[in-house]
Amino acid sequence: MADDPQRNFRSAYYEKVGFRGVEEKKSLEILLKDNPLDLEKLSTFSQRFPLPSMYRIHVWKVLLGILPPHSDSHTLVGGYRKEQYQDILEALEVMRYINSSTPPTHVYLRMFQLESQVLPRCSETSAPDEENEDFLSISRAMEEIVDDPIDCYWLIKCFVNQFHTKFGDSVPHLPKSLEHYLSQEEPRLLNHLKNSGSLAQLPYGLWFRRCFAGCLPESSLQRVWDKVISGSCKILVFVALEILLSYKIILMGINRPEGIIKFLCNIPQENTDAIVTKAIDLWHKYCGTPMHAV
Amino acid sequence: MAREQPNVGDLLPLLETSDLHQLEEIRGLINEQLSTERGSMLLNGLVDYFLETNSAQAMHILSSVREPHDKHLLDKMNECMTKQTCRLPTLTLLGHVIRKQPSWIHKIARYPLLLSLLKCLKTDTDVVVLITGVLVLITLLPMIPQAGKQHLWEYFDIFGRLASWNLKNPGHVSEVYLIHLHASVYSLFHRLYGMYPCNFVSYLRSHYSMKENMETFEEVVKPMLEHVRIHPELVTGTKDHELDPTRWKKYEIHDIVIECAKVSLDPKEASCEEGYATMPENFYPQVHLRPQDCTSSPYTDLHSSYGSSSSTPFSTPRQPLPPPLSLPPFSGTQPSYRSPQTSRRQDPLWSPSSLCGMATPPSSRGMSPNLELSHSASHLPTGGKGTPASSTPATSSPPPTLSDDFPIISLPANTVHDARISSSDAGAAENVSMTLTELSVFMKKQELELQLRTEKEREEAAITEELLKITEDKQELSGLRGFDSPFYHTTETLTGCQAQDKTLSDAHRSSALGLEQSWSFQSGFTPIDHHLHRSPSAPDDELGKFGMFSPSPCSKTPAPVPYESFFDLALPRAASLFVGQKTSEAVHKADGEEEGVVSASPLEVLDRLVQQGSDTHDKVLKRLPLPSKSADWTHFGGSAPLDELHTLRSQLLLLHNQLLYERYKREQHAVRNRRLLRRIINATALEEQNNAMKDQLNLQSVDILSLRESLQVEQQRYRQLWDDRETVVTRLHSQIRQLQQGRDDYYTKNQELQSKLQECQKKMDELEAELQRANNKVCHTGHLLNQMTIKLSNSESTQQQMSFLNKQLLLLGEAHKLSMQELHHTGADNTKEAQMLRVSYEKEVETLRQNLLVQGQKLEAAQQRVSELETHLSKKEHLIVEQKKFLEDVKCQAKAELQASDSRYQAQRRITQLLQTELLQLYSRVEMEAPASTEADIRPPHDSPRGNGSTLSPGQPKASNSSKTTANSINGSQDLAPPLLVEPSLSCPHANSLAPQPPSDAPLTVGSYPSAKSFLGMRARELFRNKSESQCDEEQPPPRLAGLAHDLKTELCVEPPCPGYIAPVCPVPCLIPTPPPVPAPALAPAAPLTVPTKEPPSEPKQRASSQESPRRKAAVGPGGGRGHAVSGRPRQQQLKIMDYNETHHEHS
Repeated sequence: MADDPQRNFRSAYYEKVGFRGVEEKKSLEILLKDNPLDLEKLSTFSQRFPLPSMYRIHVWKVLLGILPPHSDSHTLVGGYRKEQYQDILEALEVMRYINSSTPPTHVYLRMFQLESQVLPRCSETSAPDEENEDFLSISRAMEEIVDDPIDCYWLIKCFVNQFHTKFGDSVPHLPKSLEHYLSQEEPRLLNHLKNSGSLAQLPYGLWFRRCFAGCLPESSLQRVWDKVISGSCKILVFVALEILLSYKIILMGINRPEGIIKFLCNIPQENTDAIVTKAIDLWHKYCGTPMHAV
Repeated sequence: MAREQPNVGDLLPLLETSDLHQLEEIRGLINEQLSTERGSMLLNGLVDYFLETNSAQAMHILSSVREPHDKHLLDKMNECMTKQTCRLPTLTLLGHVIRKQPSWIHKIARYPLLLSLLKCLKTDTDVVVLITGVLVLITLLPMIPQAGKQHLWEYFDIFGRLASWNLKNPGHVSEVYLIHLHASVYSLFHRLYGMYPCNFVSYLRSHYSMKENMETFEEVVKPMLEHVRIHPELVTGTKDHELDPTRWKKYEIHDIVIECAKVSLDPKEASCEEGYATMPENFYPQVHLRPQDCTSSPYTDLHSSYGSSSSTPFSTPRQPLPPPLSLPPFSGTQPSYRSPQTSRRQDPLWSPSSLCGMATPPSSRGMSPNLELSHSASHLPTGGKGTPASSTPATSSPPPTLSDDFPIISLPANTVHDARISSSDAGAAENVSMTLTELSVFMKKQELELQLRTEKEREEAAITEELLKITEDKQELSGLRGFDSPFYHTTETLTGCQAQDKTLSDAHRSSALGLEQSWSFQSGFTPIDHHLHRSPSAPDDELGKFGMFSPSPCSKTPAPVPYESFFDLALPRAASLFVGQKTSEAVHKADGEEEGVVSASPLEVLDRLVQQGSDTHDKVLKRLPLPSKSADWTHFGGSAPLDELHTLRSQLLLLHNQLLYERYKREQHAVRNRRLLRRIINATALEEQNNAMKDQLNLQSVDILSLRESLQVEQQRYRQLWDDRETVVTRLHSQIRQLQQGRDDYYTKNQELQSKLQECQKKMDELEAELQRANNKVCHTGHLLNQMTIKLSNSESTQQQMSFLNKQLLLLGEAHKLSMQELHHTGADNTKEAQMLRVSYEKEVETLRQNLLVQGQKLEAAQQRVSELETHLSKKEHLIVEQKKFLEDVKCQAKAELQASDSRYQAQRRITQLLQTELLQLYSRVEMEAPASTEADIRPPHDSPRGNGSTLSPGQPKASNSSKTTANSINGSQDLAPPLLVEPSLSCPHANSLAPQPPSDAPLTVGSYPSAKSFLGMRARELFRNKSESQCDEEQPPPRLAGLAHDLKTELCVEPPCPGYIAPVCPVPCLIPTPPPVPAPALAPAAPLTVPTKEPPSEPKQRASSQESPRRKAAVGPGGGRGHAVSGRPRQQQLKIMDYNETHHEHS
């Protein structure tokens, strides 16, 4: 990639001087031109840089394995995916799990349940439990991001699957690391949280299981998810940390843990972009910038 | 300039200086000033100055003013016209300016000056002003003919007013003025009639048809009408056409003047132009003859015409008038005539002499009097007179006054002419063309001839003596000195020349004398007049007139004389005869003064008046002592009456004006004459050309003659040549004939010979054939001979061999004997054997060596081959690596795809599971709700728990197991199912792929296919159907399957489904992988049946998966080992790779 004649030789220095994202789109295009696609490079890229929105869905699909790395078989596999989706949808419809008035997120949930063989009987359908709620909120967020229902379903499914398989073990440890980083960044706030007793009650489920779906607006959320999809769940910790830091003053002013949790569950949507940017910076700072595997 | 500007105004008085040099300077200064400055100040100053002093210099400058100043000048004059006092001098100035004909004169029509002039003429009562104005107007009219359109009626009004003035005399001016006025009105009449005849006549008609004007018409206008012929324009023209400016464009000023003169019958007013001439014939031809004669040498011709004219009684002194005019153009050829011009140039004061214009016609200006004088001077000695004055020409002595200068010059001219005439009389007309010196020489020669006329000379001498006396007396009287001598000579020569006509010469002499002492002599007026009148009674007449008109003594001014002469000069040749006749008539009519005026033209009357005036003047002067002339007045009549003096002055002025007018007319004539002369010259040039052409014509005709002659000669020669040719031709023809005959003979001979030749050829052919045959025979024999010789040689050689072999045999026998003997003698002697062995060994070694060599070469070749193969090998290895890479790549791709399809498959499986559970649930419900047969009763409880259990156990991944079990369990109820199946199929109409299948399958697979509804079964069938559909629809499955079982490795197709499929169906007979032939036929028909129900999956990928999946099913069926699933694929890949290798190899 370094000796690619198409690339501007200055691109390596843009970052050093503080210009980010000058050549990213181009380098991403170069990456996407490869056949087969280099998943490692793609994930490294997505960790280092924000993805251009026009390629985001595509990159996600590749990273999540919805599309194979060989671009030749994209259409074929896409066809498979579509058929599978339609088959499941039809089956669900036939079995009257869903009808035309069912919200898409519920459809996705049923489909996911079907695929993971946890679909309850029609007669036995109960109110969604915790796990289902996570799925629903993620799918709601994803639905906002993606237009095509097929893509959306697949992305949700793969995202959830990947999250569970990849980070299922590390998720329980995330609150610990949050505490650790918070102590490094802002011990006072940590103390305050500890003292108020809200540290244990912080909305970890919202943050780490739902990956901030429903907490951050989609525009900011997709940047967080870029990192999650490309293989880092630590970013969630830093986003949470940054949220805490950003609203430190307010949090410091609230003593009751319910208030704190209530606030954190409904944080203002205004400057979430800045929060995410800072969180990514923090993440880079603590975990180091992933290097290109050249 | 600024420095000089004030000076210029001051300089004006200096114009009157007598110092010529200074005058020149001042004039130059003023002109320069005028040329540089555009302002009107200086000009106004000049005009004022002129009005004050009447300065001739100022007038000169003003009249030659240039373009930018014309406006100022005309404005200034217009301004001055308004003032009563300076009206007259202004008019005079205007007259001067107009007569000068500046280039801008045509503009005057646009300036108010013209209007004020006309107004003045219409209103003014001062006769002098009127007359001056009328003359100016008359002069101006031809210059601005197109202006007539606006002012025509004003002109006519002026004419009417002035014409009636004569009769009514409103101002009660003196008669003298009236005469002048009448004369000018007369001129105006002519001009108006000449220029605008139609309008004028109509005006006259309208104006004089009124009763109050009748008298004027009778008295004034009618006599005028008598002096004009009918104008051609009155016939052809119209009033409008007359006023058309285009009509005037082709006319120059003098043309208009001549046009006007043409219609006049008055000799004093009319011209001599052709067609209108009133003069006698002998004048006429002269004019016309001259151009003809002048072709060779105009000069001599002119003089000869002189001679001829001089012989005629009418023309004598006047005759030279035209020639001198025409001379200047020719002067280049004649030095004698070039000098006149130079002398004329030298003399700036020449105009004054012409002013007086007594003796010489104005045209004689071109003739230099100086020259003539010298002529006469040179001529005089030849005459042998030896007068003392002969050496002193008149001009050499400076003339005391301008007026005095004139007679001196003019007279000698006459004399010279006369002298010439005399010389021509003497019979030497050519000598005139000589130069002056030649002339003098010639004259000397002629002295001898002249002696013949001694008697005459004596008479002349007497006369001269008399004259001398007279002149001496006169000299004393007049106080004029230095003139006597030239006059004396002239008279002398004159008389000498005109000896034939005594009376005439007498008159001449007297006139000449009168001229010589113009003021002192009371005698004849001018020589011209004398000649004109020619009658001796003329002086009497004049005397009478004098007595009548001017009783008062005339002033000493010379003006009347030139003025009078001018009238004559203006109408020179034309008038001569007519005037003579008129005068004679007048003489006959005696002294009737008034009658004469009426009958004669007003001009004539004026002439007489002036003449009389001069006569009385002379008379009076005679009586008075000359020196005290101013005192005369007081002495004569006490105090001089003022008005009388005034009258005289104004009369003088009028006369001067008239004079100027006439001079102007004369100049117009001069211009015209010049133009005519140019035409003459052109004509002569053409004549010359004509002559030259004629000469050329003659030459060419001579040429033609000579050419004709040569043509005849040529023709003769041609004829001769033709004859020669004819003879030659005939001879040649005869020759040809002979030759043709000869040729014919030869032809016949030739034919004979040819026939012979053919015969010979035939013979030859025969002979040749014979020869051929003979040759053949020879060849054959030769061949035989050869064979024989070969055989012979063979036999010989065999014989030789035989002998040789015999010899050998003998020798060998001998040798054998010898060896046998030796053998016997020597026994075992090994040396020879050893030698032989060695030899044989050596030979063997040799061959071995050669073998070695060959082996080495082979080795090299082999090595090369090895290296070649190694490279090939490396290439192939490389290729293989590439292939591996590619394989890896494809593997990955396939894996990914496989995963995708796998996931799909999983999903499908889940769906099916779900559907099955759903189905089971529904069944259970149906069974529960609707109780069936006892058998069914027993089973469902047994089944449903199991089915439920199977579906409810999600942890069980192996569908095959569950499905098998369910299939088994369902198996029994299969029979009952079909009718009930309607419900689910109705409930889910979308499931096209699955719903229709059970009914179709059911009848076929009852009992035998418990797994028909299971997922695997369906799947397998589907796959099998795909195969059979795509590959072997028509084939009989059993043999094919059997065949396939044998070569399973090579063909991975249809047979796997069968074992996989059969495995659950009939485990007992089909435990071995080889396909049993029994179920296959049963299956085969089943497959086609399902075909229409499911859409054909056509993609090769799908086929690949379907190829594999059955295999896996097959493997799963018996053992459940999943690892086999991969085995099918690698083999396929291998096959692919081999193909690739092959193709690759072929390529490389």
